[in-house]
Amino acid sequence: MTDAPAVADVLRAHAEEGHADELAALATFDDRPRPPHWSLSPWAVTRYILGGALPDGTVITPKYLGSERLVEIAVASLATDRALLLLGVPGTAKTWLSEHLAAAISGSSTLVVQGTAGTPEEALRYGWNYARLLAEGPSRAALVPGPVMRAMETGTLVRVEELTRIPSDVQDSLITILSEKTLPVPELDTEIQARKGFNVIATANNRDKGVNDLSSALRRRFNTVVLPLPDSLEREVEIVSGRVRSLGAALELPAELSALTEIRRVVTVMRELRAGMTEDRRATVKSPSATLSTAEAISVMTNGLALAAHFGDGTVRAHDVAASLVGAVIKDPVQDRVIWQEYLETVVRNRPDWTDLYRACRELDELD
Amino acid sequence: MTEVHVLGIRHHGPGSARSVAEALEELRPDAVLVEGPPELDGLLHLLGDPDMVPPVAGLIYAADQPRSASFYPMAAYSPEWIAIRWAISASVRVQAIDLPAAHTLALRAAAEASPSADDGERVGEDADVESAEAYRPDAIAILAGAAGYGDAERWWEDAVEHRGAGPVDRFTALTEAVVEVRSLDERRGDHPDVVENSRREAAMRRIMRGVLREGHRRVVVVCGAYHAPALVPESFPPASADARLLTGLPKVKVAATWVPWTSERLSRSSGYGAGITAPGWYQHLFEHWSAGDPERSVSTTWLVRVAHALRKENLDASTASVIEANRMAEALAALRGRPGPGLAELDEAVQTVLCEGSPLPLDLVRRELTVGRGMGNVPEETPTIPLAADLTAAQRTLRLKATPLEEVLTLDLRKPLQLARSVLLHRLLLLGIGWGVPSDTGRTTGTFKEVWTICWRPELAVAVVEAGRFGTTVAAGAATAVTERARAASSLAELSSLLGNCLLAELPDGISGVMAVLSERSALQQDVPALLNTVEPLARTCRYGNVRGVDVTEVRRILDAVVVRAGVGLATACAGLDDDGARDMRRSIDSAHLGLSLVPDLAPDDWLRALGTVADSELLHGSVTGRATRLLLDAGRVDGDEVRDRLSRRLSVAAPAPHAAAWLDGLLSGDATLLIHDRHLLRIVDEWLAGVDEKTFEDVLPLLRRTFSAFGRPERRELGEQLSHHGGALHAEATTPDLTSARPALQTMARYLGWEEIA
Repeated sequence: MTDAPAVADVLRAHAEEGHADELAALATFDDRPRPPHWSLSPWAVTRYILGGALPDGTVITPKYLGSERLVEIAVASLATDRALLLLGVPGTAKTWLSEHLAAAISGSSTLVVQGTAGTPEEALRYGWNYARLLAEGPSRAALVPGPVMRAMETGTLVRVEELTRIPSDVQDSLITILSEKTLPVPELDTEIQARKGFNVIATANNRDKGVNDLSSALRRRFNTVVLPLPDSLEREVEIVSGRVRSLGAALELPAELSALTEIRRVVTVMRELRAGMTEDRRATVKSPSATLSTAEAISVMTNGLALAAHFGDGTVRAHDVAASLVGAVIKDPVQDRVIWQEYLETVVRNRPDWTDLYRACRELDELD
Repeated sequence: MTEVHVLGIRHHGPGSARSVAEALEELRPDAVLVEGPPELDGLLHLLGDPDMVPPVAGLIYAADQPRSASFYPMAAYSPEWIAIRWAISASVRVQAIDLPAAHTLALRAAAEASPSADDGERVGEDADVESAEAYRPDAIAILAGAAGYGDAERWWEDAVEHRGAGPVDRFTALTEAVVEVRSLDERRGDHPDVVENSRREAAMRRIMRGVLREGHRRVVVVCGAYHAPALVPESFPPASADARLLTGLPKVKVAATWVPWTSERLSRSSGYGAGITAPGWYQHLFEHWSAGDPERSVSTTWLVRVAHALRKENLDASTASVIEANRMAEALAALRGRPGPGLAELDEAVQTVLCEGSPLPLDLVRRELTVGRGMGNVPEETPTIPLAADLTAAQRTLRLKATPLEEVLTLDLRKPLQLARSVLLHRLLLLGIGWGVPSDTGRTTGTFKEVWTICWRPELAVAVVEAGRFGTTVAAGAATAVTERARAASSLAELSSLLGNCLLAELPDGISGVMAVLSERSALQQDVPALLNTVEPLARTCRYGNVRGVDVTEVRRILDAVVVRAGVGLATACAGLDDDGARDMRRSIDSAHLGLSLVPDLAPDDWLRALGTVADSELLHGSVTGRATRLLLDAGRVDGDEVRDRLSRRLSVAAPAPHAAAWLDGLLSGDATLLIHDRHLLRIVDEWLAGVDEKTFEDVLPLLRRTFSAFGRPERRELGEQLSHHGGALHAEATTPDLTSARPALQTMARYLGWEEIA
């Protein structure tokens, strides 16, 4: 095993490492009752997620900009030992929120099962160290625990990403774990009983729902919280600029976001195409097949930041964001292109202060 | 010395109601004074009647202008209701204290009459000032808001009831808090609300002084918490100061009664200071507290009710989920630092656990649960106007219950009971009581079916009182109302539609009233379209009035005169019309023609001659002349060749295209089925089209397209099919029907129609 790299050196720090000081400060001031094995009280967890200032002046940065109610419901669900299912279209901070919840509640966000079409049952239960199994026969030592099993043993949170991508038969192995909080190991004629504090946070995408829709038996064991897309332009600009700034710092990009104008334009384009209507509600536009979530706006801006840093003058301008913006919108080369052209000509062109963006996008078209 | 206890409450607050009940049990006063207009005094005893079911509202209206009215609603969990009921059951003196509504209504009328004396802001606030409820500031909501509570009832429970003090001490502490609230009021002394409030409190004190002089041992005053500090006898200002505030106030003569109220109406916050958002939830809280069963928790019983409602909507709501939702709500409350779950926490728990995060199922049950569908009832002894009594009697005999639920009523007018219901609803409409609204009958052409949407809104009580001036029974009132409206009617069309309404509402008296006005007006009427528009309603009256036993000879006389006059003026009236005018005129002509076809023995010669003049003219608007030609063709007054010639002439190259299009449109438009089934007309058009040369065809093609595009797609397809499949048949001579084979069918038909046996 190699030594773990220093926190400053990793590309992306875990939530509990990146915000270790905030978690420590919260723990100092947190005098409210904590559920068993929770590192913070539910109240402190919501403060960690929503941000605020502590009595000693420590500022907790908001992790999730959105409805306070939703975060409270999510935390309260976990406090009742009911599993939590975060639903939402791609890019609505489901994974982000689940990571921070795990970091705040269990002090670790590293127990993750990434759901894919090929996720095997072993990922949710346990596997075997076959060399040992052959040499010594079935024994506890030959058992390789999966993330869920480890969480049960330590009484912590485990995250299951993209639950609906997992094949249904594999999904259903969660039912016993969630309802009886045990994981039978028939090979050893034993079982693992979950310690207090164990719980599951699953995320699922409700846009391509039906890939492997949850069985109602499993569904019933989850409390469901639907995360919405940001309701206002201002809030979305705030989210994007905050994230882009911290990502830019992590990637050590020397470029700076001179003003919010570029972010605001990108977010406006995304929102308008998503809603099928311009922000002033005067014109209808067609919606492309892409989701165009907040997360995409963030990646468009980060991309623009990198372009500006390495190939531009260090300030993000229209032609830096244009390429990735067009790439984000046009997912289907035929239909989306028509929609984008229409939007460009009818909306972007008519906005006097958007001339540079219009030109940049047109130039890209001519290259094709 | 009389001992006075002032209980400052929240109107419609179940928490306040419970505390009032406890305080009354503890104090056992020998007089109870309750905030409310003194006009209700004479009616308070009715609240003890077993038939009185809340929610009900005291209704006070100006006797000579019932439109000006105030409601004083009470639910089962209203502290006023509790206090009055307690006093009645304990047989102690109970009295309402407030500024008499006689003054309130007069002041309001005065304020309306001189809007300049009032600020603009008040106009917006009281846009619905007619029959608005009384304005009452909610001091407890203000206190709760200051403590960070969104729900005043939650605050009451946490801050007032959990203090452990006795009920009387709770109210004393609350009064002290309200003193603080009142001291923060920064409105100027001449602000209309402040003036109104000081008048009301002065009036309350005046009545209190009178009661105190009677020498009771112990008096309890139940009033809005905001007024509580002003009603403590120790702080009374001199009687003369109060008297000064109350002298010289305008006054109107008022009448009072109780009317049934609905939960839904309670939930509306507009124009009512003490409006509440969730009457169903309050009802639940109150029932729970009254049951006093410590084993059951408010939230559990509520969640079970939610689950039942969800199941009724065919949504899954298992018992296990209810248990989880309960735990969830408690966890949320703990997280928010509240002693127990409130409606907000319960709603969120239901959404997360039972509804899979979706707000839609909850909306389905919200009306049922959170608002509630209850409607109150008042006993029969309640004083009422004769019209209302007649209406109640009619409702009972027709088995048509007044419910607050919107209900769709389909009536088959061939059945006597359902016909009577229809008549009642029509009469009420004429009286301005919109209990039922006629809806679309859907896909039927029969005249025996009527569809109504009925929904009793409590405000209709005012409409009933207002309609009371027309008469003592629904029938007589409606007839008077119709006659009155006929006199005020400005147009012939209005009069003729009134006439139609009279028929539907079976009002022979009303018909004669309308006819008197109509004969006078139509004689003076010069406007041909207006005359044309009266033809159809009049003709309907003639046609169906006989059936309903109405004397129609007078109607017939007027109808004849109207037709003659309209015919004479028709050609002149059609001159110089623009497109819009021509469209209106065409509609009028169509309706008149339809009307005439209803009266079989009406000699149509004059009319058809007038149409002929219009059709022959080359100068009139094409739309009208085309239509006239078509009507004449249908009536057999012009033959196919003539129409064909006219078609060619009108659509020839020299004719301006818009004129030609309008003419063709007038000729062909309307029901496409006519064109489909009338081979004759279709053949005329077809032959003409086949005859035109290619050049002309290209010219007229756009016009034809334009006309035919007005028909529906299936109709056009059918036309096309007819022309392609049976193209030959169109040109064949009309076949002579085989009368011998058809004879049995014809005879049966004739018998149905009541004709003599045909040869």
